[in-house]
Order: sequence, then C-alpha cells, then structure tokens
Amino acid sequence: MATGSGTDKDGVPAVELEGLTKRFFEFIAVEDVNLTIDDGHFFALLGPSGCGKTTTLRMIGGFEEPTSGVIRLHGEDVTGFKPYQRPVNTVFQSYALFPHLTIFENIAFGLRRQGIDDAEVTKRVGAVLELVQLTGRDRQRPRQLSGGQQQRVAVARALVNHPRVLLLDEPLGALDLKLRKEMQIELKRIQQEVGITFIHVTHDQEEAMTMADTIAVMHGGRIERMGGATEIYEDPRTEFVAGFLGASNMMGGRLEGQRVTVVGGIVIHITAAAAANRSGAVHLGVRPEKIRLHAPNDESAAPNRLPGKVTDASFIGVSTHYLIENPDLGELAVVVQNLDDRRFALGEEVVAAWQPQHTFVVSR
Amino acid sequence: MAAAAARRRRRVPYLLLLPGLIYLVIFYLVPLISLGRMALQSGNLQAGYELTWEWDNFLQVFTTYRPQLLRSLGYSVGATLITLALGYPLAYAIAFRGGRWKNLFLVLLLMPFLVPFLLRTLAWRIILADQGVVVETFKAIGILPDADGRLLATGWAVVAGLVYAFLPFMTLPIYVALEKIDRSLLEAAGDLYSKPSTAFIKVTWPLSLSGVISGTLLTAIPAAGDYINSQLLGSPAQTMMGNVVESKFLSIVDYPSAAAISITLMIAIVVAVVLYVRSVGTEELIA
Repeated sequence: MATGSGTDKDGVPAVELEGLTKRFFEFIAVEDVNLTIDDGHFFALLGPSGCGKTTTLRMIGGFEEPTSGVIRLHGEDVTGFKPYQRPVNTVFQSYALFPHLTIFENIAFGLRRQGIDDAEVTKRVGAVLELVQLTGRDRQRPRQLSGGQQQRVAVARALVNHPRVLLLDEPLGALDLKLRKEMQIELKRIQQEVGITFIHVTHDQEEAMTMADTIAVMHGGRIERMGGATEIYEDPRTEFVAGFLGASNMMGGRLEGQRVTVVGGIVIHITAAAAANRSGAVHLGVRPEKIRLHAPNDESAAPNRLPGKVTDASFIGVSTHYLIENPDLGELAVVVQNLDDRRFALGEEVVAAWQPQHTFVVSR
Repeated sequence: MAAAAARRRRRVPYLLLLPGLIYLVIFYLVPLISLGRMALQSGNLQAGYELTWEWDNFLQVFTTYRPQLLRSLGYSVGATLITLALGYPLAYAIAFRGGRWKNLFLVLLLMPFLVPFLLRTLAWRIILADQGVVVETFKAIGILPDADGRLLATGWAVVAGLVYAFLPFMTLPIYVALEKIDRSLLEAAGDLYSKPSTAFIKVTWPLSLSGVISGTLLTAIPAAGDYINSQLLGSPAQTMMGNVVESKFLSIVDYPSAAAISITLMIAIVVAVVLYVRSVGTEELIA
C-alpha cells in the first residue's frame, strides 16, 4: 500500500481501499486494489479505457457493489452503503444535470434532501456559484448553458454539500482543448481553496500530471504504479507505465554490475540505484527528451551512446522530433528542444547520447 | 438569381404542407362546418331539413340528455384514472426492469390490437358473464351480493372495457417518456442524498409527465366519445353520449339533434383539455 503525501486533518485517511475486487461474470474489472488517500489530497486514477479506473471510482461512490474487499471513508466502513448514505459527491462524465430544474434548484438538490432551511440553502448556493464563477445564472436551465458552464454547475452541485471526498469521473472529456486546460487549472484552484479530497478519473496523462498530487496508473484492473508525477514519469518501473506516461525507447540486454550489454554489443550505463538487486536479463528504457544528438566522434556526448542514421525529422515548433535508425536496436525516438540552430538532416549519421541517470529499468 | 432561389426555398415548407392542409380542409373543416349547420336545423328525413337556427337542439343536450353527458365525462375520467394507475407501473416496470425482455413485453402489450376491437369487447362479455369465473369469485369474496350480483350491465363493466381498450394508449407514451430518462440522472439523485422513492418523486415523475399527459389525453378523449363498450357491456342505464348520437343518427334519423350532441361533446372535451394542459404547463408536453 502506498500513501500520497498531503496534509492530514486528523490523521485518518480520507479513503482506504483494501483488496477491492469487482467481477462481472467472468470479466475481472478491478482486481485486488489497495490504496490509501490522505485528506485534502488531489488523487488521480489514470489509465486507458477498460483498465478499471471508472469501476473503482463508482465503487467508492456506491454505484457498484464490490465483489470483495473493503472501502473505508474517514475510517468508517461504507462498503455496504448506498450512495445516498455516503458523505461523498460525484461529478458525472455527462454532468447529469436535472433538465427540469433551474441551475439554482440543481445545485440546491442535495441540500434540500438533507432538510437544510431555505435561508441557508440560498446562502450556500450563492457562495458556490461565485466559486465556479457562474453568479447570475441561477434562474436558467441547463440546456441554456454551454458545455463548460454545465460542467461547472456539476462541480458546484457536488461541492455545495461539503462532501469530505469529491469523485470526478472524466469530467473534462467533453470539452475542447483550450477549455479543458482552463478547467484543469480551475479545478486545481477550487480543490486547494476548499481543501477537500478530490479523486479524479482520467485517461489523459497530461491532465493527471497537471492536476494531481498523486497518480495511480491502472492497467487490467490493477494498480501498476502509484506516486507523484515526477516520480512515476522518471521511474515508471513497468513497460506499460513507461509507454502510457509519455513515450519511451525500450531495449533489452544483460546486466553486469552497472553495465548493460544490449544487442549489437553496445554498453549502456545505469545508476547503482537502478542496478540494485538486479542482474542477468533486464529491460531498459530512456525517454526521447533525455537524448541529445551529436555528430559522430563528438567526445562531449554523454556516456550512453548509440550510433544511427536520421530517418525522420519533424519540426513541431517547440521541439524537433527525430527518428534515429540504429542497425541493431531499430528505431529510436528523440525529441530535441529547438534551442540552437543545429538541425540534423535526413540521412545524416549521428550519435544519440544520454546520461546514465536517465536510463530506467522496467520489469516486464 | 440567388433571391429567386431563396424565395423558392421559403415556399417549400408551405408546399409540403399543402396536401395535408387540403386533406384537413376537405375531410375535417368542411364536415365540421356542415355539422355545425346541421345542428341548427330542424325537420326530418321526409320533409327535409331547414336552417331554422334551432338553438333548442343544444338546450336539449343539457336537459334531456344530461345523464348521458355526465356519464360520458364521468366514465371517461374514471377509466382514465384507472388506466393511469395500471399503465404507469406497467410502463415503469418495462422501462426500468425490462432488461432483455423489453421488446417482448411491448409486443405483448400491443398484441391485442391484432384482434378487432369489437371482438375484444365481446370477449369481455364472456369474461364478465353472470356465471363466469370473475363474477363467481367476486361473490365468494363478498364484493358482489350473492343473490343478484352481476357485473355485466353495470357501469363497472363499461369502465372495465374502456380501461382494457385504452391501456396500451396510456402505457406506451409513458414508457417512451420513461425510456428517454438518462439513467445517470437517477444515479446523480442518489449521489445527492435521495432515497429511491425520493428520486422517483423528484426526478423520474417530473420527467415522465409529458408521457403521462399524452397518455391521459389519448385515453380520455376517445373514451368520452365511446359507445361500443356501453352498448356491449352495459344496459340502457349505462348509455353514453356516443350511444345517443348513434341512435339519433342511425335509428331515429334525427340529424340536427345528433349534430348538436356531437358538437356539445366536442366543445366539452376541448375545454377540459385546454384547462388540463394549461394547469400542467405546456412546457411538459415538449419536454
């Protein structure tokens, strides 16, 4: 079980999942998930379609019954509780705004069910409308609002109930790129201002890395890697995570000490930490942006060197994306920031080089 | 050139409407006006009919035929309420619990339409017959008096026939409205502290209202003008406006009187519908 870092309000984690499993007939959607999420934390469940992240979220919310396992919210076992019995609220992927109610009544819905008096309802709804910057739209209907505005109403409707945990099921999926980026910053701001625990499900690794304090990468119903954005990016530990979070160049070889001999006899150097407790056959990876290109015989190049020929060079604006063909290892993807004028032409012989600390070892 | 094309395009909707409009004018407006004229005439088949502005025809409706008028409206409202009470749960069950068998249930609901309406109503004569299973069971339970309890030739039989006839008309619009409800709305309601019963009252029912209105109108309006059920399942004590019109028109051949009754019934229904729709709010109709 790994924990996320964050401020503990009273020492009790906001969410604890123990051995959580969900099976639909023969299909195992979620398998033995264990995690602890601390209070006030922005936690992301990241993964491709069908990895079980949404099912896990729905189990926390009470919309799916686990096949086995325990769910605890602030220490309380809520595994058997219905959604309306849990102190959590959800922002649905389709927003699920009530079309027959005004924005005000949509947001007030949960408050009214809890029997809160009119004056308090008006006050709270006004406050949360201001928080999501939609003051003045309280008399309108959902269909009169744009997608982005509806999304903010959905967030407001959940937050106004002061839940201890907010669940977000791919809430930004339907928005265009610019709006999505804006809303990512907005949601992060809101989370920090309100200080409650957010659990955000997404398939967009950039989104997860932008917003979350801790990311859990799920694959095939299991959590494959969990940690802060930097940590899991630079040290993915499995080939799947290496490929899902950004891109990587993978190669296999034999490890001896801190030297890995790969196909073609080239030696790749790794750090002592990466080599710890490992020997024999290993799989290495290096991120495209960590590689620098040099002319052959350039002695200033980093220790890990692979010769090759440029087979593709795409100028993207911020960077240039190269494909370098190495006779033994195949294609290497290299991303070079367009800092200096040194451009490498198609067909040119180059050396791709990177530092040992940028090599990561994965288990297959 | 572009202006001419634009003008032509603007005319297209009206041209598309034209066949339908012509049909309506010939087969609806003209007969309606003719009926109105007929209602104000007097005379008989031998001597001929003359437009004498016989308002007395209308007066008759409210005096001589008041029982039938009230009975038509009463049976219609009663049958509509019972059909709603039966049809809504049925539609709900198919929409929310139907699962793989949804289509099968809908087919079962509509299958009686394969049998002509007249035959189905006659079948009810057998079902509600004096020594039949239903009557005997009711006698045994005590709902009907042992001595001379019967269902046929009572208002109950007529209403039962009406309910049976119009059940699909009530159930289907409600089913369609319920089916359209986004299931995530109900999950959202649960997420927002609603028990299932509360979620129904606050979310499902309001969103199904358009179906309920359609269903009730599709039931109440034809039921008010019905006469077959009364004729086959009731006695002369259960005659409705429809029966009166039928006898006036076909047997007694008193066209002005029949016309006056028809128009009165029509106006009564239109007024009731307008009041009904206004009270619920037309927004629900197009929800």
